[in-house]
Amino acid sequence: MNLKPTIGIETHIELNTNTKMFCRCKVVVTEEPNISLCPTCIGLPGALPVPNGKAIEYITLLSLATGCKITRKGMFHRKNYFYPDLPKNYQISQFDLPVGESGELEIILDGKIDSVEIERVHMEEDTGKSTHSGTGRIDSATSTALDFNRSGVPLVEIVTKPVIKSAKEAVAYIEELRQLSIDLNISEGKLEKGNLRFDANISVAPQDSNELGTKVEIKNMNSLRSLERAIDYEISRQTKAFLDGEEIIQETRHWDEAKELTSSMRSKEGSADYRYFSDPDLPNMILSEKFIEDIEKNLPKLPNEKRSELMDTGLALEQANILGKSDSWIIELYSEVFDKTKEHSSTYNWITGELQGQMRKLDINFPPEWFSAELLSEIIGLIKENKISFTSGKTILSEILQKNITVDEIATENDLYQENNEEKIVELVKKVINDSEDIVQRIKDGEDKLVGFLVGQVIKNSGGSVNPGIAKELLSKELDL
Amino acid sequence: MSDFDIKSIAKLASIKLSEDEQEKLTNDLSIILEHVQALSSLELDTNIEDVFIHPLEKELKLVEDIENESLTHDEALSNAPESKDGRFVVPPSME
Repeated sequence: MNLKPTIGIETHIELNTNTKMFCRCKVVVTEEPNISLCPTCIGLPGALPVPNGKAIEYITLLSLATGCKITRKGMFHRKNYFYPDLPKNYQISQFDLPVGESGELEIILDGKIDSVEIERVHMEEDTGKSTHSGTGRIDSATSTALDFNRSGVPLVEIVTKPVIKSAKEAVAYIEELRQLSIDLNISEGKLEKGNLRFDANISVAPQDSNELGTKVEIKNMNSLRSLERAIDYEISRQTKAFLDGEEIIQETRHWDEAKELTSSMRSKEGSADYRYFSDPDLPNMILSEKFIEDIEKNLPKLPNEKRSELMDTGLALEQANILGKSDSWIIELYSEVFDKTKEHSSTYNWITGELQGQMRKLDINFPPEWFSAELLSEIIGLIKENKISFTSGKTILSEILQKNITVDEIATENDLYQENNEEKIVELVKKVINDSEDIVQRIKDGEDKLVGFLVGQVIKNSGGSVNPGIAKELLSKELDL
Repeated sequence: MSDFDIKSIAKLASIKLSEDEQEKLTNDLSIILEHVQALSSLELDTNIEDVFIHPLEKELKLVEDIENESLTHDEALSNAPESKDGRFVVPPSME
């Protein structure tokens, strides 16, 4: 029997605000433990939470960017559970009135535009970090050590509907969400630093079934690679269990990167077990029309808009997707150079290939201040007009990245202009033919490949200034080939 | 009517209950639930956003994202029964 997998993804995005969600302790990234704490974020009695306006602005921005409906009158709830990294014994979160609801995110899947429906976007706070002494594994630890620097850092949780069909689609979704959070400038978007953390809810059901199977939550995937592998593993585990007639239990499973498998952590709490109730310390949060309009006005260009603009220049979806994820100066450079050259393909290749490759070799993150779209356009133009070779173009670019000098100066100094005067080239060709009687005879006897050798001779005699294509054409003509 | 398990509720609240307490609380909670049940007979035709569920009839104030002085590291740890290498130490936590 063929089974269909269904996946929903919950992603936590750590916002890049200056201070925490409900207190004004600085958000710090450091190995030094417990240096940015106050009574609120370590849950001392009597401390009162006061929400960070910037974080609310950011979550509204993300909600609008994903086309969500904004809850005008929202509120915060307490999600109750006992764990040492949660000093208040509850996490301030949102329950039935999240900031954003019912949106969608455009993604690129298998070279095509697709989309993933978003169920909700809500605001919450992060927990502290625990280290388990002993073997490092929770189940054999002798004590737990706590660092609360991260406690109270603003987190946005964004939950998809159960609509994702494969591990590949899940990865495409996270890639897009990551890019969106960077473009909106609400998060660093670094997976390796835990700025984005994701859990997957996975179930399998018969193809023709209208109901979803029992869902299993997978945690501890900290890279796109582990997300993909964990989902693939879990789909095959559940498929096998289903086909063997075993019951699939609703539970939380832990992805073990080293063993490449998921293992049971605990039976899953239902939402009733968290005993959500409205936080008496935090009154209703009213988001005014003006607040929302102001944010909407300042929405930057979204990844899908950037892609579509780049595709309007002639780029393919994949190229537009790659370029769209680049730093803004690279996208601007592309647009400016394209405006001048109207050559989408070579402009794309020069910028994503040559320019960035040479910058890596020179170990620089930005081109020097004298570098401009005009210079690159000039190089591309000269190649198109056959005035310089592609190789010479690379040489010129390399020089320009290191010295404030014009294209013409480098080309003249290094004798890079190609000879386009046909009469002169014909002279060179004739000389080579006269000097290479043997070779010419062999070509006439059928050794076509040797034409290449003669082309090489023409270029050599010209000091490298003849375009190989023109040299070959004229040689063939002279030899009646 | 007691369609709840007092033991699991006690576990979630992290409290220990004796047999007697379990029985007493099961009775009390059943009565409370029955009272609350009466609400479900009300016909409510209200948008959830319009229901002022919060006990405080006050609007939440958002503050600027500007850092304030925090506790010093030593102050933060001063009430901890146990600490090591600058971290709070607690008994091993098991899921």
